[in-house]
Amino acid sequence: MIFRAVEDADLILKARRGEVEAFNLLISRWEKRVFNYLLRILQNREDALDLSQDVFLKAYQNLRKLDDPQRFPAWLFRIAHNEAYSLFRKRKPEGELETTERPEASAAFPIELSIAVTSALNKLNADQREAVVLKIYQGFKFEEMSEILSCPVSTVKSRLYTALELLKADLSPLKVRGVV
Amino acid sequence: MSCSPFDLRDYFFGELPDDERRQADLHIKSCLSCREEVDRLRSTQAVLLTVPDEEIPQRIGFISDRVYEPSPVRRWWQAFWGSAPRLVFASAAMLSVAIIVSATYRPATPVANVDVVKLQADFTRQLNEAVVKAVADNDAWHEERTAKLLDVAAKYAAREYRTVYFPEGSR
Repeated sequence: MIFRAVEDADLILKARRGEVEAFNLLISRWEKRVFNYLLRILQNREDALDLSQDVFLKAYQNLRKLDDPQRFPAWLFRIAHNEAYSLFRKRKPEGELETTERPEASAAFPIELSIAVTSALNKLNADQREAVVLKIYQGFKFEEMSEILSCPVSTVKSRLYTALELLKADLSPLKVRGVV
Repeated sequence: MSCSPFDLRDYFFGELPDDERRQADLHIKSCLSCREEVDRLRSTQAVLLTVPDEEIPQRIGFISDRVYEPSPVRRWWQAFWGSAPRLVFASAAMLSVAIIVSATYRPATPVANVDVVKLQADFTRQLNEAVVKAVADNDAWHEERTAKLLDVAAKYAAREYRTVYFPEGSR
């Protein structure tokens, strides 16, 4: 007997035929990544969860428009990016973007480090922060980031490398103090 | 300042093509400053990754409800129009049909300018000629008939006359 992992592409084809359970399986594979991407750029758990649901609903409704199932990750994150920026635009006049949640300490690292990293990320502008999140935390290639952010690869690299310079300067004291 | 022939940040993120990556590997092994630059990138990444992903607080899932699901026909229709290649195919097919129809269809030859007055005059003339001919034929028939009747009447009268005025045996 040959066991073969069900590929995302297979699930997408089944979901396109109306098999909701196939799409639910697809969600279970991607919900954590989408939620964390939104959490890191929105910095609000409730918003991140609400938008995650909206992202998967839109993905289900528009699944037939996805020409190449291999491009599903970038396509999904493009929807998430659009949802997040739609929320940014709605909330900007109210100034709610300034309110950020205090990071929770993880079991492996001290709270001081989480606060320092979150603070350093908050000093970046929204574009730079998103570039860092997509590359460092989500591991996308530049080409995929270009598709998600709808801008040239050169712009993606410029945002990421500028952000890394700022983060390097901001976070290097932690290394000197031996936190890392 | 890096002395590497390639961007060390591209190298660090694994975005260089294989041959350039191999050359960068060789350079970094022999260049202390480039090695330190890559180490700094690695440290920065490590610090950032100390804030790990969180578990999603509430799982996401959809429930299938056939009441809200589109019919198979509607799904096919949405899929048809949602697919760019099919749309292109349909457009091309319609264009082909239009070209074939326009190539094979010949509109009726337009009627030459008709002189209505002349046509009416011809019609009137032909009608008059037909009426005159019909009247002449009728007159001729009546004349012939009248002549025959007169002939018959004359013969009858002559026989009766002989009978009355010249009875048999009276001569």
